[in-house]
Amino acid sequence: MAKKYTLDELLIITAAREIHDGENIILGVGLPTTAGAMAKALHAPNAVLMMESGICDFQPLVPPNHIADANACRGFSYSTDLFSTFTMAYRGFVDVCFLGVAQIDKFGNINTTVVGDYFHPKTRLPGAGGAPDFLSYARRTILTMRGGDFVNKLDYFTSPGYLEGGDSREKSGLFPPGSGPTMLLTTKGIFRFHEQTKEMYLSQVHHGVTVDSIRKDVPWDLKMADNVTETDRPTDAEIDFVRKFAPTEAVGRKLMFELGMQNAFKLAAQRGK
Amino acid sequence: MAKMQNKVMKAREAIDRFVKNGDHLVIGNYTVGTCAELVFEVIRQQKKGLTLYSQSGVFDVEVLVAGGCVDKLVSTYVYRAGGKEGGSAVERALNAGTLTMEDYTNFQYNARLLAGMHGFSFMQVLEGAMVTDLFKIRSFMGEDKYKVIECPYTGKKILTVPAANPDVCIVHVQRADKFGNAQYWGALGSVAAAALASKRIIVSCEEIVEHEIIQSSPHLTIIPGYRVDAVVEVPWGAHPTEVLGYYNLDRTMYAMFFLMDMRGDSLKTWMDEWVYGCSNREAYIDHYVASYGKGKLNAIKAKPYFSAPANYGSAFGSCWDNDELERSMGITLEEMEKILEERGLLNG
Repeated sequence: MAKKYTLDELLIITAAREIHDGENIILGVGLPTTAGAMAKALHAPNAVLMMESGICDFQPLVPPNHIADANACRGFSYSTDLFSTFTMAYRGFVDVCFLGVAQIDKFGNINTTVVGDYFHPKTRLPGAGGAPDFLSYARRTILTMRGGDFVNKLDYFTSPGYLEGGDSREKSGLFPPGSGPTMLLTTKGIFRFHEQTKEMYLSQVHHGVTVDSIRKDVPWDLKMADNVTETDRPTDAEIDFVRKFAPTEAVGRKLMFELGMQNAFKLAAQRGK
Repeated sequence: MAKMQNKVMKAREAIDRFVKNGDHLVIGNYTVGTCAELVFEVIRQQKKGLTLYSQSGVFDVEVLVAGGCVDKLVSTYVYRAGGKEGGSAVERALNAGTLTMEDYTNFQYNARLLAGMHGFSFMQVLEGAMVTDLFKIRSFMGEDKYKVIECPYTGKKILTVPAANPDVCIVHVQRADKFGNAQYWGALGSVAAAALASKRIIVSCEEIVEHEIIQSSPHLTIIPGYRVDAVVEVPWGAHPTEVLGYYNLDRTMYAMFFLMDMRGDSLKTWMDEWVYGCSNREAYIDHYVASYGKGKLNAIKAKPYFSAPANYGSAFGSCWDNDELERSMGITLEEMEKILEERGLLNG
């Protein structure tokens, strides 16, 4: 019998499968770095994993705590600076980039800055970070959204997707042809972008999720793939890798927090004994 | 995008595959440790019509020009052998009308490559040069040699140079791995910018080392492997110039070269013997040893003065501790899987 998997494992593994051998990948912390580690271990040994702090071609050791975590690497091939990492992307040398999303519109434009008014925020989010520049110039961008929202209009336009859709991104003359978000991965399913209209459509749904429950999350009339299928099942090898490499990510944030706190209390209770 | 094919090859194959007639070719090295064997191979293969970029045109530029490979030269410094009574291949070619040259300052030349490296179309340079003939007298670059713009913040006049993105860079380094990760230390000059600005990169090195060597010393890497097209292992690949940690400048050989460089016919004699007469660097070194003895070569070999190793280590290599407990949750994998099952968090 095939191994059972957690939702977080499914997301990580689905993201990892977007990485092909020999590609240059910009990774953020969390899901992307574990996806990168899995890809490199299982199907893309020559993928070049990079973090924007200037860590280039690293060998993953443990999940990094942040994007400058050289302690999480068993060495790397090239130590450069942040400026040069971004101009690498600008010149077209970054194949795939992974970005997290707080709000997204139907053309894949994203907000990671603020919910509510910019000057009087309801929720002040981290901000731009590397997102606008990478989404502008990476050849492909994989977006992940956990706990974020689909909206008709972003509260703040942080990073450019397909602008007003159609050929508007290409026509702006600001971005390399063919670049832009290629996939949105959420806790319920996988969305892709229509080749001509650049409008997001539902491509696959995760096991046990209904299309209706996804429609309810989206404030516009969500388009569907001709044949919405179930998200491809992870293999046992993929599940084992993720679970061993990044156990706290495999169990999900909620359980990680609960078990981590329990362990901390246990250690605190043992103090002085 | 990473280049997947095997990149390790001989100089002959690398130059044949990646240097085309009419290319803009940049010599990545600056003053020291020039990529002599790659330069010689360009000449042996009689590449034609090159626009040559060299930060400091010395021995390498002289032989390329004398070899008839170069139509245009972009540089900041031209060597002239023998002082007032002497001469140089560049000077002779300028007079013969077979070469045109564009002069820049060292800073401006490097700025053009830096702009190219970062994907910018121009770079601000130091405005004092605006009053000089560098600014006023223009060769084949014409209008595009420099342009002056107004700073949008201060209104000040700003001198700019256009980006350079040469078709191919040839560059010699101390060591590289088979993927092309190239490590170079010593005088950094404009080496990294020259390579990274270029569309294709041919790296020659004193030795090809295991990937693990590179991975444990990434601060020495100046060119990431994914940018590199060819890696050529060439011991003594920069001779008669010097490579830090490997050998010193061969002053005798260098002096002999410049003696011969003073006149066109004598330079031809020198090149017939050392460039065309030796089919590759091995043959060149054999010929050198046969001519001057092994002792002469041994005398310039570097004695070690190793850099202190940098510690790239961290506390642990897995999320599981020695008791197989997860480091932050304090449970075993088995316990973790049991909790996931109990909580109904497993799908499929």
